Amino acid sequence: MPFPFSFRNKFHLNPNFKSYGKSVRLVALLLLLALSGYIFYLDVTIRDAFNGRKFALPARVYGRALEVYPGLKLTSGQFAEELQALGFHERPEPNEAATYKFTLNGLEFTTRDFVFWDGPQATQHLRVEFADGKVKLLQQRGSTDLDLPILRIEPPVIGGIYPGHNEDRALLRLDQVPKPLIDSLIAVEDRKFFTHWGIDTRGIARALLKTISGQRIEGGSTLTQQLVKNFFLTSERTLTRKGTEVLMALLLEMHYSKEEILETYLNEIFLGQDGSRAIHGFGLASYFYFDRPLDRLELHEIAMLVGMVKGPGVYDPRKKPERALQRRNIVLQEMAQLKSITQTQFIAARQKPLGVVHRAPAGTSPYPAFLQLIHRQLQRDYREEDLRSEGLRIFTTLDPRTQRHAEEALSQRLVQIEKAHRIPANTLEGAVVISSTQTGEVQALVGGREARYAGYNRAIDAQRQIGSLAKPIVYLTALENPNRYTLLTPLDDSPLVWSQRGTSDWKPQNYDHQFHGNVQLRTALAHSYNVSTARLGIELGMDRILDKLPKFGIERRPPPFASSLLGAYELSPIEVAQLYQTFADGGFRTPLRAIREIVTAEGKPLQRYPLNVEPVAAPAPVYLLTAALQGVVREGTAQSLTNWLPAEMNVAGKTGTTDDLRDSWFAGYTGDLVAVVWVGRDDNKSSGLTGASGAMTVWGEMMKSIQPEPLLPTVPEDIELVTIDPASGLRYNGECKTALLLPFIKGSAPTEVSTNCASSADAHDNPAVKTEVKPGFKPGTEKKSWFQRLFN
Amino acid sequence: MIRSSLIFIPALLLLLGGCASVTTQPPATVTATPEAIPKEVLPGQVAVEPVPKALVSGNQAVLALLDRARLDTGAGQREAAGASLERALRIEPRNAWLWHELAQLRLDQGQYAQAISVAQKSISFAGRERHLQALNWRVIGNARVAQGSSSEAEQAFKLATELEQ
Repeated sequence: MPFPFSFRNKFHLNPNFKSYGKSVRLVALLLLLALSGYIFYLDVTIRDAFNGRKFALPARVYGRALEVYPGLKLTSGQFAEELQALGFHERPEPNEAATYKFTLNGLEFTTRDFVFWDGPQATQHLRVEFADGKVKLLQQRGSTDLDLPILRIEPPVIGGIYPGHNEDRALLRLDQVPKPLIDSLIAVEDRKFFTHWGIDTRGIARALLKTISGQRIEGGSTLTQQLVKNFFLTSERTLTRKGTEVLMALLLEMHYSKEEILETYLNEIFLGQDGSRAIHGFGLASYFYFDRPLDRLELHEIAMLVGMVKGPGVYDPRKKPERALQRRNIVLQEMAQLKSITQTQFIAARQKPLGVVHRAPAGTSPYPAFLQLIHRQLQRDYREEDLRSEGLRIFTTLDPRTQRHAEEALSQRLVQIEKAHRIPANTLEGAVVISSTQTGEVQALVGGREARYAGYNRAIDAQRQIGSLAKPIVYLTALENPNRYTLLTPLDDSPLVWSQRGTSDWKPQNYDHQFHGNVQLRTALAHSYNVSTARLGIELGMDRILDKLPKFGIERRPPPFASSLLGAYELSPIEVAQLYQTFADGGFRTPLRAIREIVTAEGKPLQRYPLNVEPVAAPAPVYLLTAALQGVVREGTAQSLTNWLPAEMNVAGKTGTTDDLRDSWFAGYTGDLVAVVWVGRDDNKSSGLTGASGAMTVWGEMMKSIQPEPLLPTVPEDIELVTIDPASGLRYNGECKTALLLPFIKGSAPTEVSTNCASSADAHDNPAVKTEVKPGFKPGTEKKSWFQRLFN
Repeated sequence: MIRSSLIFIPALLLLLGGCASVTTQPPATVTATPEAIPKEVLPGQVAVEPVPKALVSGNQAVLALLDRARLDTGAGQREAAGASLERALRIEPRNAWLWHELAQLRLDQGQYAQAISVAQKSISFAGRERHLQALNWRVIGNARVAQGSSSEAEQAFKLATELEQ
């Protein structure tokens, strides 16, 4: 170590403090010591800076791996998109890893090696063919082709959790960097990089000369020096600074290999500014300027980035496109001169436009909202520093295709809704959560209409009143008691005043400001009548209903007021998705999951988040609830969903609208997906939308693109289907045009037989809908309640 | 003499600096994977025969994953078996036989509460498939035995027998 060495010298020299010559020597020596100390200090500093960058491996986050098998609903175009997103290239002979070509009925392609959670999967030469929108054939290409039952494609990288002070980085390993980038960088910035010692002596001499002759200090920087400069970025240009830079460059070269220095350089160099966010490294710059990973850039795009090294501000392609273009072409020319590209490549590349995306995406992940969900879940189980530096590989459930449909539906519908309802542009916001019904895996999560921009994540952070979305829990509680309630049970929808200690009198109103007398239970839910629901909830007991919520995954208890029955409490869209997941899955609660597995940087399996289920409600009442929620779509508040989805889809769903139209909700499910959409304003002012005019249209639009499976729940054994006369609520015997097939828990179906058949058969095709939609409809057979008598 | 050291000392220091080792952070262990509990038959438990593959599915992809899961189970790799079964369930999420297979696995893993829940889920998709219902009730019975609730186990086994009559 240098310090003891210097101290010994100092003491040894102390006695000789007399003659002039000696004091000169002493001063010189002290200066030397100071310099040594300084170098030592520089050495420590530069190594700290370098190591800090070098050895922190961010966690890599992957989306779901696409499983391809004969019979899978997938088109050749969709499959090609999937490969392109993974950076596969089209080639005439697709025998190298990550290449493909189209064939008559499908594609031939070669996969990359990939280490999954359960082990490595070697590269494979494959063929896939499609027919009628499905995979028809999956084969391994070889001397004899071999049919494969299933293929797991490597999952797409959807983001990372980066080191540093929340710095956004797209770290690259040297072998991930395209060769033309390295070639051009060396050609333009530092031709002797692989042979020099960190400094370019001639460059320095030139710089010195210029300084002495009074000119500006400039140029002569090697890549190593540039890297040093970049670590301690100041715009100061003094001789001392230059000296420091030279020393540090020399020190760096002593400690590290050329490859390490180059790799760090590529990840570190400053390439632009986005507001307060500095864009460091070619990986991030590639996203920032082209919205694509580096390995998917073309030659002219690479040349533009390399050209920017000289001055990211001066050659900013968005602000100064002419200069950037000029600079890019100089880079191309240098490459051509050094013969790292051919003359043809040069001419072709020179003619291309810059190709920069108009607006920069906010980060390296196209799915910032989903990534945030992942990060939160990980923070519960891991130390933050491990996430940021240990190179964990995290396999998640995000389905990029479902996600894209959700994002597009939300952003497009919001624009259309604002136009149609004369709402000022860009005032509405929204959120979407889509999960798979039986496994609880979150396939898509959209945190706002500009899904690419990280920011307020409404899907997990917006706490909004849920309104009528809370009603199913009331109805489920009722239907769990088949002796008392069936789908046909008349409910009292006459005016209600409810007094409760601690709150003022509560007088719930229906949305249409009418009272509907006695209505069948299924109708009250289909039309989302508030008054009858409130009365039902009070009758069942508020505590009984609210106590249920934790079982359905809603941890916070709503306030103990009757208005909570009608959803006067706040939940986030993802909590609502959890609630509806249990309805969709026949009463089994599966905690929503976004992470499947975690693997260490070395490929060792670390953790799995297995599928867990818990029965929290009996299947039969849940089956009845689903039938009632299907009624919401068939004949209730969500009827217009048929504008997007065919009736055969049998969607079950519920609209939600809160006071003053602040929140517009739709939660619903198909055979395979549960999805929740919220639309409203961030400032909590009125959005002017109901659940049906806002959120439901987004839901319909996205499901139309996703093409989910129809909802055909398994009929529980204690359920029987009975033909009913919808008007009287009595049983029908024999065939009847107006008959309605309704499920009942065995023993609870009406026994009395209706005589209406002949008379109503020719009335309407679907009188059940028409008669009950009318506000104020009162079946004559029922006795009026005391409340009704009081008010009528 | 000293003048010459003027040149050498910084150079020496540079060299010394260069020789000093580059320190890397030691890799931190995050969490350990819990090891699978070895399968053992407790007194009072009954044998639940494996389901013939042809009954489970007509989808070759599902069958390939089922094969892999069974192979992994046999090799004591129960965590991996679970992963394969989940892959199969993503393809056929309402396949009652697959859920039954997962229930069996959870029982082998010693996750008794999950074994019961998953078996119930299998029953919920089983429709009128009496044999499959019976198999699930046996899994539930075995899990109850392991949990020490013998009377509930008894009930489950009895139900299984009745279902097959």
